[in-house]
Amino acid sequence: MSAYADKRFLVVDDQPLARDSLRAIAQTVGAFAVEFASNYQDALYRIRNNAPDIVLCDYMLGEGRSGQQLLEELRRFNLLSDDTIFMMVTGEQAYEQVVAAVELVPDDYIIKPFSPDKLLLRLDRIVAKKKFFAAYYREKRRQDYAAALAVLARGRDSEAGRPYRFEILRQEAETHLAAGDASAAEAAYRNILADYEFPWARAGVARSLHRQQKHTEARAEIELVVAGTPSYFDASDLKASICMAQGEHAEAQKVLDEIARKTPRNFLRKRLLAQAAALNGDTETARAAMAEVIANDTMPGAVSPQDQLTLVRNQVAAGDLVAAEKLLLGLRESDVKGFDLALQASYVALLAVASPERGKSRLAGLRPALIDTELPTDTRLDVLRAALATDDGELADRQARHLMAGHDAKKVFATVRKYYSLHGREMALREIQRQVALERIHHETPTGEQPPE
Amino acid sequence: MQRLLDILASGVHDAKNQLFVAESIIAAAERTHSVDLAEARYAIEAAAGRLSRTLATYRLLRQGATLAVVPTVIADLCDEVVLAQGKHLLQSGVRLETDLRVADVWPLDRDLVGDILNNAVQNAGRYARSRVLLTAAVDAGDLILRVEDDGPGYPDPATAAQGGTGLLVGERLAALHVRHGRSGALHLTNGGALGGAIFELRLP
Repeated sequence: MSAYADKRFLVVDDQPLARDSLRAIAQTVGAFAVEFASNYQDALYRIRNNAPDIVLCDYMLGEGRSGQQLLEELRRFNLLSDDTIFMMVTGEQAYEQVVAAVELVPDDYIIKPFSPDKLLLRLDRIVAKKKFFAAYYREKRRQDYAAALAVLARGRDSEAGRPYRFEILRQEAETHLAAGDASAAEAAYRNILADYEFPWARAGVARSLHRQQKHTEARAEIELVVAGTPSYFDASDLKASICMAQGEHAEAQKVLDEIARKTPRNFLRKRLLAQAAALNGDTETARAAMAEVIANDTMPGAVSPQDQLTLVRNQVAAGDLVAAEKLLLGLRESDVKGFDLALQASYVALLAVASPERGKSRLAGLRPALIDTELPTDTRLDVLRAALATDDGELADRQARHLMAGHDAKKVFATVRKYYSLHGREMALREIQRQVALERIHHETPTGEQPPE
Repeated sequence: MQRLLDILASGVHDAKNQLFVAESIIAAAERTHSVDLAEARYAIEAAAGRLSRTLATYRLLRQGATLAVVPTVIADLCDEVVLAQGKHLLQSGVRLETDLRVADVWPLDRDLVGDILNNAVQNAGRYARSRVLLTAAVDAGDLILRVEDDGPGYPDPATAAQGGTGLLVGERLAALHVRHGRSGALHLTNGGALGGAIFELRLP
């Protein structure tokens, strides 16, 4: 009996004839259970509800969808277990270029036409590889990164690990990033680059530098990748994020505008575009992009409370307080009660601006908590805006001081300045900047980059 | 020119899809009726390989051609060549042997290098008396992939590279493989272990 007789196959292809062909080949390697998915949504639905053991997915899925998008979505929602085999099937040479560049790759890809024997050989190799990495996957899933790295180190030094040398190095780098050690990740990626100039490894260096707040260096690295492999869109996403951290919001939006047009259904990218546009003062684009995300990112759980509040934020920025209020009041009170402090603070702050009679007293109630707690950047901006709007200069200044002293200073400086000048408080902001600069000199805190003047 | 490339690529893509339909029907028939139609499937794959190579030639000879370099296990690459060619060569009394002295993974364009090796083995099989040898080794930091045969050898190894599509692609493909500032090369010679033609791809 074939090793694949008891495995469940899912064939994803929009062409009926091609589906039949893939099934015939799968049956020849011993598969009994072969299911079909005829498009992207169908495939997502089937994999979510009853995950197969082996996915054979055509690269071209029609309706502007690709197998690579499907793979990215499956990984985004963690729908592929470590044991599931995802094999891309392609007649295209174009896909090889994709695989060579990007960070997120399938277990393997195979070019049509191919014989049952060749598929069998490829599947056997994937199974062997998954077996080799099984202990590592287990530790990584448990988020025991030290143990995961120890498993990789043992594998790297073993004879059995020789065919997986690059994969081991790559997993090491990714594990360091997941563990929050960006400097070790950078070293691991550079180790790969010393051997070969893979675009994904160069992008990994840029990502690691970005996490270390070394934005100028990160920018130089990512520019190399984008110039060398323009179709590597994730690299462009990263470039945009770095641009935002540097305060270059117009460039970030330009980059994202361009690639978002080419990938209209990538909603993570659209969120990033909304962010860049908002920072860039293009409130219309920000609003439209977020509205599209909320209307069309249809996977269950895909649209988060953060997304809802981002749209509200963009409505407020565009001056459409009626729409903002409607969205806020549309959220269920029970959901709002379940928010963590940061989300609640954003909610109340946005409500105080969009609907002062409802929001002001709630903002006042939350005030003591907002004075002392660490809050994410978006929330601080929300609170800052609401505080200025309700003449609470002290609360606003506290948020501004935190923002100007933090890693996101360059990113949000233009926005903070805009709010302060709207309320005629430029001098107060200048004073905050002066104090932050003085404190920095006093403590000589090496944060990598200086805040803007 | 990009438009012409797109049109050619799309035509080749469609043709390969249709060839895949044909191959799967044959595979299903083999299973259902317990017959061996491997030669029919071989002919289909050879036709598809020819189409790919023609497109690759056009693509690689253009300005600014890029490779798709992925870490590739050399033994796996060679196994696939044996899988694709071994049985067919035996039909004409030629044995395909391997001598693989590389356990490692190498950064190279897996599909194009595989294609070019398949082509070299096909050519060698045409001139070999009874043996073709595929070898992989590492020499001075380079990966050396060789296809040797026991035939009469190239009439003139110095000009042989101008001969066919496969050799033209091989030369360009080797040159495009660049690592640590060094690029690959294609060497055609005679002699070696089997005394016939030697096709040698050297990749940094």
